[in-house]
Amino acid sequence: MWPDFDYNSGDLLWLGNWGLGWIVAVAILGAVILGLSAYDLQPLRPTRRYTLLGLRAMVFALAVMMLLEPAVDLKNVTKVKNHVPVLVDISRSMSLTASGDDTTRRDLALDAVKRLNLPKGLTDEDHFYHLLTFGNGVEEISPEGLDVVAFNAPTSDLTAALSGLAQRYKTVELGGVIVVSDGTDTGGIGGRTRRDEELDTSSLGILANVGAPVNAIRVGTPDSLRDLAIKRVKHDDFAFVRNRVAVDVEVQAIGFDGEVLQLTLERGGKPLQTRQITVEPGKTRYDVSFEFVPQQLGREVYAVKIPVMDQEVLASNNASYFVQKVIRDKIRVLQVVGRPTWDVRFLRQLLKRNPNIDLISFFILRTNENLLNARNDELSLIPFPTDELFSEQLGSFDLVVFQNFNFGPYAMRQYLPDIANFVRQGGGFVMVGGELSFADGGYAGSPIESILPVKLPSTTGRTVDLSEFRPELTDAGTRHPISQLAFDPASNREIWESLPLQHGTNVVLEAKPWANVLATHPRLTAGGRPMPVITVGEIDEGRVMALTTDSSWRWSFERAGDGGTAREYQMFWNNTMRWLIKDPELKLLRIEIEQDVVGPGESAKVTVRLQNPDYTPAPDVRGVLTVARKDLDKLTDAAKPTGNIPFQTDARGVAQIAVDAALPGVYEISAEVDRDTGKLVDRDLFLAADNASEFADILPRPDLLQSIAKATQGASVAAGTSLTPELRAPQSVQVNKRVVIQLWDNVVVFLLTLALLLVEWTLRRRWGRL
Amino acid sequence: MQRRIFLKSLGASLLWTPTAFALGDDDRFNVGLLKYEGNYNPRPTAIRRLLLETEKVTNIRVNTDDLVLTLDNKKIWDNPMLIWAGDRKFAPLSDGDIAALRRYLQAGGMLVVDSNEGLEDGLFLQSVKRDLARVFPDKKLARIPRDHVLYKSFYLIDTPQGRLGVSDNLTGIWDEERVSVIISPNDMLGAWARDNFGNWLYECSPGGERQRDFAFRLGVNLVMYAVCINYKADQVHIPFILGRRKWKVD
Repeated sequence: MWPDFDYNSGDLLWLGNWGLGWIVAVAILGAVILGLSAYDLQPLRPTRRYTLLGLRAMVFALAVMMLLEPAVDLKNVTKVKNHVPVLVDISRSMSLTASGDDTTRRDLALDAVKRLNLPKGLTDEDHFYHLLTFGNGVEEISPEGLDVVAFNAPTSDLTAALSGLAQRYKTVELGGVIVVSDGTDTGGIGGRTRRDEELDTSSLGILANVGAPVNAIRVGTPDSLRDLAIKRVKHDDFAFVRNRVAVDVEVQAIGFDGEVLQLTLERGGKPLQTRQITVEPGKTRYDVSFEFVPQQLGREVYAVKIPVMDQEVLASNNASYFVQKVIRDKIRVLQVVGRPTWDVRFLRQLLKRNPNIDLISFFILRTNENLLNARNDELSLIPFPTDELFSEQLGSFDLVVFQNFNFGPYAMRQYLPDIANFVRQGGGFVMVGGELSFADGGYAGSPIESILPVKLPSTTGRTVDLSEFRPELTDAGTRHPISQLAFDPASNREIWESLPLQHGTNVVLEAKPWANVLATHPRLTAGGRPMPVITVGEIDEGRVMALTTDSSWRWSFERAGDGGTAREYQMFWNNTMRWLIKDPELKLLRIEIEQDVVGPGESAKVTVRLQNPDYTPAPDVRGVLTVARKDLDKLTDAAKPTGNIPFQTDARGVAQIAVDAALPGVYEISAEVDRDTGKLVDRDLFLAADNASEFADILPRPDLLQSIAKATQGASVAAGTSLTPELRAPQSVQVNKRVVIQLWDNVVVFLLTLALLLVEWTLRRRWGRL
Repeated sequence: MQRRIFLKSLGASLLWTPTAFALGDDDRFNVGLLKYEGNYNPRPTAIRRLLLETEKVTNIRVNTDDLVLTLDNKKIWDNPMLIWAGDRKFAPLSDGDIAALRRYLQAGGMLVVDSNEGLEDGLFLQSVKRDLARVFPDKKLARIPRDHVLYKSFYLIDTPQGRLGVSDNLTGIWDEERVSVIISPNDMLGAWARDNFGNWLYECSPGGERQRDFAFRLGVNLVMYAVCINYKADQVHIPFILGRRKWKVD
């Protein structure tokens, strides 16, 4: 019945289910009974009186004990060991020198782990030890494995490693943490805390969540090391063309004094700007800003570089690369008008109301033919700034609109080649009809005719036709984005056939071979074919359109009179603007790269989207992705092909391709697809470069490790010194065996109670009491 | 530099004459006169005179054919500018006319109301305002501020003038950034009107011929505003205009 003695812990229990009120009531009752007894026994001698009172008190106490049902809870318990992770930094900075000699930080770290004398089997009386490596992730490793593991992780995210411990050991107790690192934390705590600064609230919060002391073994010291580093480059991923762009650079110079350093910003391998830094004693951080105005659209590779000095710890952190994509903020349109008309007014109003268009208009409001009886200062007229517009500022526009404009009276012939070159180099140009346009504008044989998609007649022949007509869509016109006013070609034709008539047209000859005619005149012919009315084309890098009427405004105003809306007019001209400026959304073949920058050895995810000419997805089409690479230090050289990747679009007209970037460099990718309408090509690039953050600050940060240890009541020592870590004793126990013995429920207590009652009765009778 | 270019451009224009074709006379600039149940044409020759003046002083080519249009006439959709003139009270426009006028103005049309009564708020203008309140129940007439582009669309104008100097202000109704209805109580048409022998039909008071000149200038500015909208409010013009206004004030 009684247990063996294999129990090392016990507790007294009261099993009687009595509330406190009852226990107090019983105590009072006992006191009252004993009080009455004492009163009743007064006549007896004191010895006899106290004997009887004592016997009665004992009987009452036994009765109360039986009511309370006492028991003993006997247990056999053992302590539960808590867990102690030992985090060893295996980032690439650990392969660098520890303090300027040949000893690397890795060597010191391995020695520090050995000095910890971790118990065999990684367990002792109170703790389980876990050997973990951290870099850009946390991995468990054996002591033997640690000796051979490569210290080459691209980051050393100590913050993430510490933050992850709570999750990793959520079901067990953490006794403490031991960190072996140089302290170059690329995570949040290291990023926020500058050298010798206090930890901020956010960092303290992260450490508090660890819930255990963090002990640190500091590997390496910044003393006697020299290093220049582009520590941080702040830039936007996107920039707007012709808008100021700022690039802020943080340079760290340690171990230098008085040197004048040249910081260079390069674009595409060519120097863009330079800044000078004079190193001051005791100052290690230098903030430098570059500002420039990108003039070209597209993705460019930029580099910030500082020269490599003698005895630097690391040369590769003297340059930092990034990619910036330059996009349009607004379409800059130059509208040049020879004479105010309703057509001019409605187009200007449409363009002006479009928030994506920055419109510069120039209208010729009077000529020398006009008579005026007002002084110049009574007029709002300004000179036509031909030189400024067509020589100085032409390149700042995306699109030039010549609307009913004749260049002759304004001494502009000298600028026409510039306008033609602007288009050939990627600008957009549209000529809109009117009595001053096309042949009547004197453009036949001019450089402007060379870029127009239609040929012009001489002015000796018929140059205008005044009859009303309705343009007829060609096959190309039914699906071209400019003339596509409805998705369905049949519906599109119906819409065009319902538009108000055009009042007259300039006469042009046939379309040029490289042009696409979208709509033709129903009666006039040129070269045996219907005369083009809306014609578009691509000439070199630019796009052009010729619209031979000056009454497209009727598609807006007159259509409203027919009960319609201006929707078709707006769509036509908005489509025109987008197509002429090569809106990427209107490209039939598009490359999209998920990330601008990947690490060497990683892959870039490339998405190729292909659309049919009617802008429906083009499924099951085969194409080729060509990849070429340039070395980062030879960005001005031509890229060398690295391979071709065939692809096939899926049902959505999409192909997903992974492009391996084995080596650092700029990877130029080009997608090509052969279609019935010709070859489609799209190009883009991405950068494969080392993660800048790991080598941005390669000098050891013992101060950071010390702050972390202090904040968590941990210990901190330099490598080479034995650490006595602050570890918590196990707080939990495990119950192996347990028994509960009831003290009142046995015959001894019962007999003792009877015996006491019998003695009391016997003595009372002998001493003359009833 | 700019002045030299300007003079060079002007000089070159003297030596070059464009072929005087228009893509249809229909598309030359014209102004319709709104016909309604009332005395809709109290100054019969005025619009033609304004058009001739416009062609004389500006680069706009005009069509001077009389264009008297009711609101149910399809031809109003060939001409986005209408003048509504009168000198007396008239019956309310029909609901159909009100709807047509609303559609016309919302589609981009412009309406110039000229009162020939010689009163700032005479019966004609009261009738017009009554009907405009039906066209745009949620919009109110407001004074057109003196720095509005209307006062600098061709001439630099300080005060709107007409045959009479009834008011120093024009009022209007805005359609987004554009004034779609412009109201003058100064009888501009009276200042423009001439008989077939070239004699002015009405005296301008109190400023005489100088006032008439400024009434024409306002008319030309109205035409320019109709076809160029806020062109003269573009940033590129502002330094020139401010400079000239300052010069005048000084």
